[in-house]
Amino acid sequence: MEMASFIAAVLIQSTPILLAGLAAMITLRANILNVAVEGMMLVGAFVAIAVGDLTGNALIAVVSAVFAAFLVSQALAFFTLKLHADFIVAGLGINLLAAGGTLFLLERVYYNPGGLRPITFPEIWHVPDGSLSFIPILGPAFEGQSAIVLIALLAIPACHVFLYRTPTGSYLRAAGEDEHAARSAGIRVNRMKTLAVAISGVLSGLAGAQLAMDRLHFFLPEMTAGRGFIGLAATLFGNGLPSATAVASFLFGLFGAIGDRLQAFNIPAQFVLMLPYVAAVVGLGIGMWRIKMRNRPAKIEGEDKRPGA
Amino acid sequence: MSLTAHSEPLASIVEEVRDTGARLPRTKPKPAGDAGGHILELLGISKSFLTTRALKRVDLQVLAGEVHVICGENGAGKSTLMNILNGIHRPDEGEILIKGQRVEVGSPLVASRHGIGMVHQHFTLVPSMSVAENLFLGRNPTRYGLFSDRDAMRRRSRQLIERYNFELDPDTPVNRLSVGQKQRVEILKALAFDAEILILDEPTAVLTPPEVDELLGVIDILRKRGRTIIFITHKLREVKAIADRVTIFRHGESVSTYRITEVSEADIAHDMVGRQVFLVGRQDDPESPRQFGEDLLRISGVTVTNSAGRRLLDQVSFNVRSGEVFGMAGVDGNGQTQLAEVVAGLMPVQAGRIHFMDSDVTAAPISERMKLGLGFIPEDRLDRGLSATMSIEENVAATNYVAAGMLKSGFIDVGVRNAFASDRIKEFDVRGATLGQPVGWLSGGNMQKIVIARELARKPRILVVSQPTRGLDIGAAEFIQEQILEAADNGAAVLLISSELTEVLSLADRIGVMYNGRLPQVLRRDEADEKTVGFLMNGGDASTP
Amino acid sequence: MLKSLRSFGLAILPQAAAIAVTMFLGFVLVAAIADEPLLAYRELLFANFDSRSNFALFINRATPIALIAVGIVFAFRAGVFNVGGEGQLYLGAMAATVVALFLSDLPGAMLLPLCLLGGILAGGIWGWIPAVLKVRLAVDEVVSTLMLNFVALLFTSYLVNHPLRDPEAYGALSRKVPESVWLPSIPGLPNASMGFVAAVILAIISWIVLFRTSWGAEVRAAGTNIRFAEAIGTPGGRRVIEAMFVAGAFAGLAGALYVLGIGHRFEQNFSPAYGLVALTVALLARVHPIGALLTSLYYALMLNGAAYMQIATDVPRSLVVLLTGLLVLFMTVRLRPPRVVG
Repeated sequence: MEMASFIAAVLIQSTPILLAGLAAMITLRANILNVAVEGMMLVGAFVAIAVGDLTGNALIAVVSAVFAAFLVSQALAFFTLKLHADFIVAGLGINLLAAGGTLFLLERVYYNPGGLRPITFPEIWHVPDGSLSFIPILGPAFEGQSAIVLIALLAIPACHVFLYRTPTGSYLRAAGEDEHAARSAGIRVNRMKTLAVAISGVLSGLAGAQLAMDRLHFFLPEMTAGRGFIGLAATLFGNGLPSATAVASFLFGLFGAIGDRLQAFNIPAQFVLMLPYVAAVVGLGIGMWRIKMRNRPAKIEGEDKRPGA
Repeated sequence: MSLTAHSEPLASIVEEVRDTGARLPRTKPKPAGDAGGHILELLGISKSFLTTRALKRVDLQVLAGEVHVICGENGAGKSTLMNILNGIHRPDEGEILIKGQRVEVGSPLVASRHGIGMVHQHFTLVPSMSVAENLFLGRNPTRYGLFSDRDAMRRRSRQLIERYNFELDPDTPVNRLSVGQKQRVEILKALAFDAEILILDEPTAVLTPPEVDELLGVIDILRKRGRTIIFITHKLREVKAIADRVTIFRHGESVSTYRITEVSEADIAHDMVGRQVFLVGRQDDPESPRQFGEDLLRISGVTVTNSAGRRLLDQVSFNVRSGEVFGMAGVDGNGQTQLAEVVAGLMPVQAGRIHFMDSDVTAAPISERMKLGLGFIPEDRLDRGLSATMSIEENVAATNYVAAGMLKSGFIDVGVRNAFASDRIKEFDVRGATLGQPVGWLSGGNMQKIVIARELARKPRILVVSQPTRGLDIGAAEFIQEQILEAADNGAAVLLISSELTEVLSLADRIGVMYNGRLPQVLRRDEADEKTVGFLMNGGDASTP
Repeated sequence: MLKSLRSFGLAILPQAAAIAVTMFLGFVLVAAIADEPLLAYRELLFANFDSRSNFALFINRATPIALIAVGIVFAFRAGVFNVGGEGQLYLGAMAATVVALFLSDLPGAMLLPLCLLGGILAGGIWGWIPAVLKVRLAVDEVVSTLMLNFVALLFTSYLVNHPLRDPEAYGALSRKVPESVWLPSIPGLPNASMGFVAAVILAIISWIVLFRTSWGAEVRAAGTNIRFAEAIGTPGGRRVIEAMFVAGAFAGLAGALYVLGIGHRFEQNFSPAYGLVALTVALLARVHPIGALLTSLYYALMLNGAAYMQIATDVPRSLVVLLTGLLVLFMTVRLRPPRVVG
């Protein structure tokens, strides 16, 4: 039971990172380092709570969140692909705009810069308690997980199939890997990039909805707290591969869950919260170090030896 | 491997390929031998870029079923014309007629719809994807209208490959193929979709001589099967070997068109350049042979490996004397790049020694080697040679701050630096150079002059020169070759690495040929002719032909 | 002269246009929600000059932005996209606080330089880490600096909440640093910290170092084409790392000067995203140290103006964050595709 609840905690911690990671992965395959995942997530989280509050319908809230993040992604695509803005700078601009815009709305519409906490909020669909108890450990771990957690898990194979088993996915990869080759094969490179950004918008919106709707039912300014960036790190860590990105996301989620446990032992919250970020930097460092070691020239044996060594 | 044994009509393969997936209209290729009317006509095509007029009212008429060679120097407008035909650029004026119909070629897709296929000089293959995926890139056959039909792609790729005996595996990722193999994938890619007119843009630039012969064989088959081939080159041998007709370009104009049987190589050369060609070369006086000084550069047993343990340089040894030009020939990718980096001090060696004069510099960084008199002209000016976005004067000054006294107690004396840069620009006749401008705004030849001006300013004792005239027109190339010879005459030991065989043969005093990382033999100038060196370039042994 | 003026005008045109478009959009937004849009914009732009104390606050606001931005100019010139200004700033501020609190017995003349040194080193190291990761292991610096920001923010948050917390103060504040290390104010402008003077001097020195020394030329060579930098015999990788240390040091110094000159203690969340704002400033200034100094004034004007605007009208101050976002989005927009080099 203890194990099951820990796995459940890992799943909860991992899901927003996983969705953000897949979002960043799709754009990375189109040769875009998408730092705007963070901002799109934030917009998703805000819209999810605002619309859920307004309509009292969880499904409408999720769909609205996804659609809002999608719109933001298309703004990013417009500025970068049509107006030739730099992708990282524009992405940071989107993040600022998301932070400023949500704060502005909190102040202006809700008259509460501290956050948006509806008194009642519709529940998103969760796996009912006891429905999976026949599966040892994993069953109970999945009970009580939101629909978005399941969608996120399904998104891993879905991304793989999209990238490697559909024409569009293969054109998207071609556009990212060699623009010139793609263009001469008649692939519209900018359209592929727009598509990649759109998909990342949808996934980011889901990530934001999950973050705000699953347990918390409220929105706080900057509540994404860098999860979008951790997702980006997971993608780089996973070398742009769906499965490896997922593994990295779960690893970061694991650190988050361990951190929560550590809090019980009087370890200050800050160090606990720090863990995924430290893990990301150290992980990236180790990953790149291994690549470097692998690409080292091979030593040669025999008569001559390496000078200066 | 025989390329002529297969004579099935290409159309049948194309039919199979096209049946599922390809959305292109059917166009029947003309039967072989029916070289009828004009399949393609360009009339009065002009094209200008920012400041240059690349094409001036160019005309070109191509007959169906012929091999039409387009010949001209670099910068004569050949590539621009082909990019217009392929829909990458749009002409400012003029019209394109295909089979007598006026057409607008707006994109590569439209071009391929009109039956124009292009084999680019720089490959347009996605490295991580397999041969089959590349062949069907942009036009994947699908299953259930949603998923790529990978079995069909593989099967049809295999059929296509087998018909041509190309010895390719459809599942191999392209980044594991040799250059020649990649080119065959490119050609297949164009053929797979029923290209009636196949454009090959300088296809032999990257090939070894036997690969060139194979390619010419392939083209002959294509001609027999009724394809129309437009073949772009500046190598006269190939023109004579393959062309039915040739059109010569010069300075953005189409100068002349001949039947190949009615024209000599000399005539073609004359039309390309517009004047008599004087080849720069070592003036050899048989009465008093050139005298060389002591060894300034000594390479002994130098070995470099990659991560897989393959030897990129394998026990390479040679010396270069003061006043001597040592020419290193070889097909690209046989270790020349590594050799230049190793001598310059930009790549560590796994074994062997490098001496500059009496100093062992094997472990010394490039800065120390420069102090000992190294001048380094890298193979790619935009890679290691220049910082394109930095100003012209900073690029010229980069290695000369100390030597030319531009530093005053740690600070740059801008007046001295700019005067230095202006002098070099004048001396090397760098056209269009204004101080303060980014060096990347200059043309290729003028950028190369900047690199050479910078490196020769220190009067190097050891000069490493890699591919100094690549991509330059004859005028700039001649000038640069003269500068290199002058450096040698002033006592420098020059290591000239070039994959242009004629350049090595005309400039070098001794000639080495790199093959597969090894340097089996060094020839004296009088032992080296095109045949011997060409033989060595393919891994032959000159002593046992 | 006229020619160079013209080329200067052309150079800053896109940036000026971005600012103009943003200010216009902001005005449309303000006009839509405020009763007195003109008053709101007047407050936003001119209230900073209404009184000496307003002006002093404006100067104080510009100081950290200017310092971090000048540092980021070094990073950009070395080809590093340093998003880590925020973390470097916090660590610098914290280091200065720690030194001041733990060595408070030392005389001010000794302690003050030590505090500054502490800030410079702490920030510098936080810039050095991602640079080493980038140069030696090719770890993307955008991601690593973003991550390190969170680490620095959380670490300083721990220190200010636990070991250094002032028990008498309300909120996460450290104890006050000794008065002996407080920076004097600019003569004639009470409350305006001397830090700004330091920023002006350092911006000028930075211009000289970057454009008139061989070290600066080598940094820029490495930043534009590191393989070229190696081929001309300069240690390109080392120059990149050094420039990033300088960038971090500038941000760390900004933090130290903030503590010593303005806050007099470490305050959690003392920075309204100065790091990101400074990145914007550096880019708007076309990666030029003097330009960065001037652009930081514009930003300080906006940031402080927003507060006056909120007091005088019903426009929330988060408008400025919104406008900053818009500005950043517009900043690198090019209506024509960039000129291809080569």
